[in-house]
Amino acid sequence: MSIEKAYQILFLTALIWFAFLIFAMLVRSVMGPRITDRLLSINMIGTMVISCIVILSRLSGEAYLVDVALIYAMISFIAVLVMAMIYIPSGKRRARFSEDALLEYRLEKEKTAGYQRAKDGEKAENITGAEGMADDEAERKAEGMADDETEGKAAGTYGTKGKAAGTCEAETGSDGASSEEEG
Amino acid sequence: MIVEWIRFFLTALFLLTALVCFTMAVIGANRFGYVLNRMHAAGIGDSLGLLCVLLAAVISDGLNMDSLKLLLLIFFMWFTSPVSSHFLSQIEYYTNPHLYRNTDRKFEDPSSHRPDGSAD
Repeated sequence: MSIEKAYQILFLTALIWFAFLIFAMLVRSVMGPRITDRLLSINMIGTMVISCIVILSRLSGEAYLVDVALIYAMISFIAVLVMAMIYIPSGKRRARFSEDALLEYRLEKEKTAGYQRAKDGEKAENITGAEGMADDEAERKAEGMADDETEGKAAGTYGTKGKAAGTCEAETGSDGASSEEEG
Repeated sequence: MIVEWIRFFLTALFLLTALVCFTMAVIGANRFGYVLNRMHAAGIGDSLGLLCVLLAAVISDGLNMDSLKLLLLIFFMWFTSPVSSHFLSQIEYYTNPHLYRNTDRKFEDPSSHRPDGSAD
C-alpha cells in the first residue's frame, strides 16, 4: 500500500461521510418549524462544504480551491447577516412590549388564577377567564366610546391583532412580513 | 519514509476527530427540540470540527502558502461564527411571539422589560 493510495482512501472516506452529514442537515432545513432552524442548518451546511472543499483541494492537488473555500466562508456569513437584516424589525415595530404581550400576560394571569381557584375547590361554572375582558369593556364604555367603535376596538385588540399573532403562530416563514403588517 | 507515514497518521487522526465532531454536531442539531438549543450543538462543528479539518490539511502538505491561507480561514471563521449565532438568536427573539413557552416561566412578563418594573 503506497502512501498516495492511503491518502486517497482517507480523503474519499471523509468526503462520503461529509456527504451523509450534509444530507442530514438538509433534512433539518426542510423539517425545521421556524426560519431560525433553517438558517442554522444552512450555516452548518456551509461549514461542512468548506471542509469538503479543503479536503478536495488536498485530494486533487489543486491549490486554488482554498481561495474558493475562503470566499465561500465570507458568503455564508453575509447570507446570515442579510437574513437577519430582513427579519429583525426595527424601532417601533419591535413587538415585545406591545399590546399582544400585555394581552397574553393578562390572559395567563386569569388562567392561572382560575387554576388556583379550581384547586381550592370552587365550582367550575363560577370560574371563567373573562374577568380581565369585563374590566376592559367597562373601561371603554366609561370613556364614552360608541358601540361600533367599541366593537371595532375589541375586534382590533382581540381579533385582528389576535389574528396577526395567529399568523405569527402559523410560522410559514413570513414572520417578518406579518410583523410589518402589525406596525 | 517513516516521516511520511507519521504525517499520514497525524492527518488521519485529525480528520477522524473532525468527522466525529461534525457527526456530534449534526446529531445534536437534529435531536434537540428548540432552535436556541440546536445552536449549542452547531457551535461544535463551527469551532472544533473546522479546526481539526484544517489542521489535517495543513499537516498533510507541510507549511507553505496554502497552509497560511487555511489558517486565515480558521481565523475568519472563529471571528464570524459567533456573530452569526448572535444574529440568529436575535431573529428568534424578535420574531417568535411564543418564545417564552420554551422557558420555565412559560409566559412573558412585561414588567421585566421596563426599567421601572411597571406592567400596565
